[in-house]
Amino acid sequence: MSYKVTEENNISIVHLDGEIDMDVTEKAKEVIMPLIEAKKEVHLNLKDVQYMDSSGISVLIESHQKATELGTKVVLKDISKSVLKVIMMAKLEQILNLG
Amino acid sequence: MNSSVENNISEKKDFVVSSSSLKDVRSFSREVFSKVNLNQDLKDELVLAIAEAAQNIVKHAYQNQETDDKMEIKISLDNGELEIGFFDKGRPVDNSNVRHRKIDDVKPGGLGTFFIKQIMDAVVFKEGEKPWINHLILTKKINY
Repeated sequence: MSYKVTEENNISIVHLDGEIDMDVTEKAKEVIMPLIEAKKEVHLNLKDVQYMDSSGISVLIESHQKATELGTKVVLKDISKSVLKVIMMAKLEQILNLG
Repeated sequence: MNSSVENNISEKKDFVVSSSSLKDVRSFSREVFSKVNLNQDLKDELVLAIAEAAQNIVKHAYQNQETDDKMEIKISLDNGELEIGFFDKGRPVDNSNVRHRKIDDVKPGGLGTFFIKQIMDAVVFKEGEKPWINHLILTKKINY
């Protein structure tokens, strides 16, 4: 997994790339959580994520819950077909913010 | 039908029990499924189920502890009966403790087993024959 963080209109945009599994979830959290803790609105661009497993979905849930707790939000953007399928399999399409 | 595509296979491979092996587990599974005549969506789901089961061995049978132990994954397809076997030497699985997330319970954890049960027809835990401790069997009827 690789990533790039950009800033636009006070929104942090995290572009994730590659496969997100248990082996990289800590790295993903290290990137995403500090932005949420800084109470930024965070957009996760998932266009280039070709694979995500339950560990990756857990990062999305934890990020969403932390953001809600701190009064901000995480929006999932440009979700790849394979990631959307897993989000729907987890029945989270109504819970996570899909932008 | 493409004559290079098979409908019966049986392949197995060992992997070190580690989260860093999960990408190799996926590569092996994709390679095996590239040889059979299944639609790509189903192949992707099966790869996810296999990777989730392997992840459960790392997380639960070995509790994320570093080890040199290996797990073995065997994928067999015989006349439309897909069987995926997982063998490990970790902590014995207590079947009564294996539970998946409830649908309306939005929290991390338990999702892997939830996915496996959605994708596969049956999930059976058995005591492994020596030298193995655990033997997990996932099965699915394939309709061509």
